[in-house]
Amino acid sequence: MRRPVSSLSLGSSLKGKLVRAGFQFATDLRDLNPEHLSAEAGVSQQEALEALQAASSGHGVAAVTALELLQKEEEFRSIVTFCSQLDEALGGGVPVGKVTEICGAPGVGKTQLCLQLAVDVQVPAVFGGLGGQVLFVDTEGGFQVQRLVDLAGAAVRHCSLLAEDEEQRVAMTTFTVETILSNVFLVRCRDYVELLAELHLLPDFLPDRPRLRLLVIDSVAFPFLHLHDDLSQRTRLLQGLGLRLIAAATDHNIAVVTTNHMTTRLRGSQAQLVPALGDLWGHAPSIRLLLRWEESRRLASIVKSPGHMDATVQYQITCQGFRDADQSEQPQSKRPRTQTDQSASSRENTRT
Amino acid sequence: MVVLLVGMCPGLDEDLLRSLRAADIRTVEDLVSSDIEDLAQKCSVSYKALFAIRRVLLAQHTAFPVSGADLYEELLSSTAILSTGNPSLDKLLDSGLYTGEITELTGGPGSGKSQVCFGVAVHIAYHLKQSVIYIDTTGGLTASRLLQMLQSETNNTDEQMEALQRIHTFRLFDVGALLDCLYGLGGGGLHKACVGGGSVKALIVDSVSAVIAPLLGGKQNEGMSLMIQVAAALKTMAKDFSVAVLVTNHVTRSGSGEARPGLGVSWSHIPRTRILLERVESGASGRRSATLIKSSRQACLIKEDFDLQWWSRAEGEKGGAERGEKGGGAERGEKGGEPSGKRKLDETDT
Repeated sequence: MRRPVSSLSLGSSLKGKLVRAGFQFATDLRDLNPEHLSAEAGVSQQEALEALQAASSGHGVAAVTALELLQKEEEFRSIVTFCSQLDEALGGGVPVGKVTEICGAPGVGKTQLCLQLAVDVQVPAVFGGLGGQVLFVDTEGGFQVQRLVDLAGAAVRHCSLLAEDEEQRVAMTTFTVETILSNVFLVRCRDYVELLAELHLLPDFLPDRPRLRLLVIDSVAFPFLHLHDDLSQRTRLLQGLGLRLIAAATDHNIAVVTTNHMTTRLRGSQAQLVPALGDLWGHAPSIRLLLRWEESRRLASIVKSPGHMDATVQYQITCQGFRDADQSEQPQSKRPRTQTDQSASSRENTRT
Repeated sequence: MVVLLVGMCPGLDEDLLRSLRAADIRTVEDLVSSDIEDLAQKCSVSYKALFAIRRVLLAQHTAFPVSGADLYEELLSSTAILSTGNPSLDKLLDSGLYTGEITELTGGPGSGKSQVCFGVAVHIAYHLKQSVIYIDTTGGLTASRLLQMLQSETNNTDEQMEALQRIHTFRLFDVGALLDCLYGLGGGGLHKACVGGGSVKALIVDSVSAVIAPLLGGKQNEGMSLMIQVAAALKTMAKDFSVAVLVTNHVTRSGSGEARPGLGVSWSHIPRTRILLERVESGASGRRSATLIKSSRQACLIKEDFDLQWWSRAEGEKGGAERGEKGGGAERGEKGGEPSGKRKLDETDT
């Protein structure tokens, strides 16, 4: 199968010059030397070298059989969410190497789940965790250090109660609130340009930190909500962003978690709440979790996943963080919960 | 536009090439379309020699017409139909995926395109014992799901591992890598993938729109060209190597909320058959509906409901479920009797 010159990854003007000079296929270019080519096609020596390199190389990456892929997947554990029902539905937790999206209405607990995951990824390997670091990209300003301290403290207490043998006790010395906080790299992005720039820099940031196992972007919708006038540009930017996230997740074996808002879609005369940023963004995350309220209960549903069936579980958010819904709990008074209520209660708890 | 090179045909040596170049004849087209007598005088070469060269070049570069009967014979002997493993989908596809053609699955997020691709790959690798090339650009390829599907087919771990080894995967995230991969496969990679049992019979690209859609629109002019390059590579591979190509595509919403396949009108001519997958609102979690939106073999807009869990259901249900599926009807247009020439690839190819 002969490869046409126009499919090589070269600049379009260079490709145009080569085609006009009569070189149609990559095989035509193969046996020439750079001086000859630059004379024939009227291109500079540098460009001729580039063209010859592109023509003779480029057979892509080697294939990996599904068996090898399976073995690689089994090497990496998932990140637990500390809500055992959700972990079970997800087959262990948020998987490493995939992009997971958490959608929900305001106040339902997306940032809480992100903070919980930022703590859980650091649980030492002897306790079944990953012992990894986390890069937290905050676009909304919803990151509260005090809340992270609460969650970290609860996790440390939980693990120290579980510590049985010597190895686990040794691990506990490195698993303290201070170390947890020091393993969270926080980046504050104010608009979509900063967000895209941050993700461009990711391939340089990641090799220096081989322990990084989680990238959280909270939220990915917020910076793009302002781009109403040029929706097609927004779509293109989002798709490029999606590809970059998937590439980072796959190549560097990190779990990428993004949060998304909800928006209303009108279908005929019916209004439906759907995740924001459109269907095209919807193809980027491999797994989608939908968090919602149902009366006074909080429910989490898996609406998209390549390896798990759709499921809905109940969870709750306590002062210790994201947890299973307590089945024996008395039904709470039907007081509508708001965002301010939650942060007020967590502030109260830290004061006592 | 094929450049004249030394040794292209007997008689075309360095000196002749230089004198032709001096007369501004650089390509085969120029030579063939110019006046031989005139040229012979200008280049001080014998008329006979030039005429002989012209004849050889014409013979080398002409396309030969093929009669319809020969073409039919060739198609009969080289085309195979690969079942997808799911009877409802097979009904829509007129018994399965045809080699030599591109079939497209389109649908919104969570509509089941990747699941269908997994199911097809597992069915071909396990039941038909042929190799499959799976190119993943979405990051959704989960080998444990493939294993799950295989575990419902057989309990024998050796067979499961064998089937997994027949599925060759590539994970790429940009169009340059995709083109490199496709041409690499065309240039010899396919033969390497055949080692270990079964020739490659299917190529699955999930999804082709993830790498191309970001390049279309706006001020970018290369997008369309790259899309057509990918299409040409897929088509050439399908025809030359007799593989069935299955691609997935996203959907865009038209003004009235209707789902339409993405990548625009230019791409819509590339696949021979197109199926739109949608969630069934009121059904169980695995139910999806598939609608045939483009086909050269059946009446369009036939709709079939199917279950995504078909490929991983328990052993006992298989016999009963099949009977149930046959009972479910579809509104089909009048179709003529089964053409006798179609051959189903049911067993291992010898």
